[in-house]
Amino acid sequence: MRPGFSPRGGRGRGGFGDRGGRGGFGDRGGRGGFRGRGGFRSPEGGGFRGRGGGRGTPRGRGGRGGRGGFGAGRKVLVEPHRHEGVFICRGKEDALVTKNMVVGESVYGEKRMSVEEGETKIEYRAWNPFRSKLAAAILGGVDQIHIKPGAKVMYLGAASGTTVSHVSDIVGPEGLVYAVEFSHRSGRDLLNVAKKRTNIIPIIEDARHPHKYRMLVGMVDVIFADVAQPDQTRIVALNAHNFLKNGGHFVISIKANCIDSTAAPEAVFASEVKKMTAENMKPQEQLTLEPYERDHAVVVGIYRPPPKQKK
Amino acid sequence: DMSSFRKALKSRQRNHQERSQPEFRKHLGLLEKKKDYKKRADDYHKKQNTLLALRKKALEKNPDEFYYHMINSQLKDGAHVSKKGKKEEETEVTEEQKKVMTTQDIKYVEMKRLAEVKKIERLKGSLHLLDVVSKKKNKHTFFVDSKKEVQSFDLSDHLNTVPELVDRVYNRPTVDTLSKAHVLGAVQPCLSKERMHEYMRLSQRIDREKKLFVISQKLQMRQDLQDRNKKIKVKKETTNAPAIYKFETKRKR
Repeated sequence: MRPGFSPRGGRGRGGFGDRGGRGGFGDRGGRGGFRGRGGFRSPEGGGFRGRGGGRGTPRGRGGRGGRGGFGAGRKVLVEPHRHEGVFICRGKEDALVTKNMVVGESVYGEKRMSVEEGETKIEYRAWNPFRSKLAAAILGGVDQIHIKPGAKVMYLGAASGTTVSHVSDIVGPEGLVYAVEFSHRSGRDLLNVAKKRTNIIPIIEDARHPHKYRMLVGMVDVIFADVAQPDQTRIVALNAHNFLKNGGHFVISIKANCIDSTAAPEAVFASEVKKMTAENMKPQEQLTLEPYERDHAVVVGIYRPPPKQKK
Repeated sequence: DMSSFRKALKSRQRNHQERSQPEFRKHLGLLEKKKDYKKRADDYHKKQNTLLALRKKALEKNPDEFYYHMINSQLKDGAHVSKKGKKEEETEVTEEQKKVMTTQDIKYVEMKRLAEVKKIERLKGSLHLLDVVSKKKNKHTFFVDSKKEVQSFDLSDHLNTVPELVDRVYNRPTVDTLSKAHVLGAVQPCLSKERMHEYMRLSQRIDREKKLFVISQKLQMRQDLQDRNKKIKVKKETTNAPAIYKFETKRKR
């Protein structure tokens, strides 16, 4: 394409190539009522059938079904992911998705794709790995996230609740997400997310003081932390001692710059792992988040593992 | 009646469609139509006629004739330049106006750049680089208890998946999932083509955003240079970065 600024410029006559007739109502894109209604069949038979294009404006690629709409179910292919409750969506999109719990609503302007399976219509929401460390870890091939349908999750550093909304999708109505966020400003957005999703319990408190919200929280199966504080391992440990069940798991996202901006990222990760071990948290795997984030790692581990049985 | 019959007939006839440029001649641009040719031809003849008229004028020129431009212009380094009258100097743009003009340019470029940034964000929202092999690879470490386990470590066993899927990092379904649900193999070629197209659009937008960023930086630098502060050039301007100057610090009251 020429360096011109108009994105449509180079396309010339193709016209609305990328519009493709969204929503695609099958024959709507075509020529009014005549085609296919029985009355007047075109003598060429199938000549044009594939093209929804009307008369006049030649429409580049013709009216393809577009996404979502009816007769367009094949446009999106969804495969189950290694982690239960997560899916991969491969169509025109190339995306990690979760099943939308609140159908018809986006939380932060993310794209939704609906797929028809027989009678039922399932809606998925794209989960952007450039914005979510957890999504980046999943696409990076992490072995376990321990967040699955029915799980009780404590989410430290919930921010505006963008990732929390996806966690809530995964755990489903049977599960629970305790979303802890200190900042009132982003806490406000979090509250709005929690209004629509009954399995999120928003907590606007400092995660350094778990006793302040001990009355709200029961035992949890897994703690996810994305707090980006120098003492984050200590914060997670405090919460783990209070709320994480024995043999429960933790998933911690570490931003090397936030711990020590002068040391090499590798060294920072190693020292954090060491701190975890001291707190009875046994790391099981560590994954860096390229190409989505730079100098980030996710550490997954087990809290107070059951003693090994001798054979 | 007759008119409705005529209409009905129209539904049977083929739509007229313009012929488009064949794929193998695409490099020549859009296919020229009669109306395009007409424009081109008219333009050509207009230019020819102008040339003809000028040539004629030059031939018929009277060498003794007086023109005011003879006294209002002079030769400078062998080139003809017109002398500047006082009036012309007055009409030139002032420093102030120049600044405003560049500011507006910068604002426009920035506006365009931010629009690009937003579009990039939107595209990135559903294009997650699943198959893309990135330059910088991520590093996956497993912690095990003994050296024995290190020696007997097998990735596909550890991940509870099949060896064929080990390299498919974005999704390595477990053996359980594989037995229960159907996992896609090769995806329909037409869809993957569309997806490629989307990725191409994304990369084009990213390029464009970078270019706009360079332009706005260069414009900003040009504007900063209009200030009469002392400055030293530290680095020369390059194609993708503005020159770097060190400005004398000045206390603003």
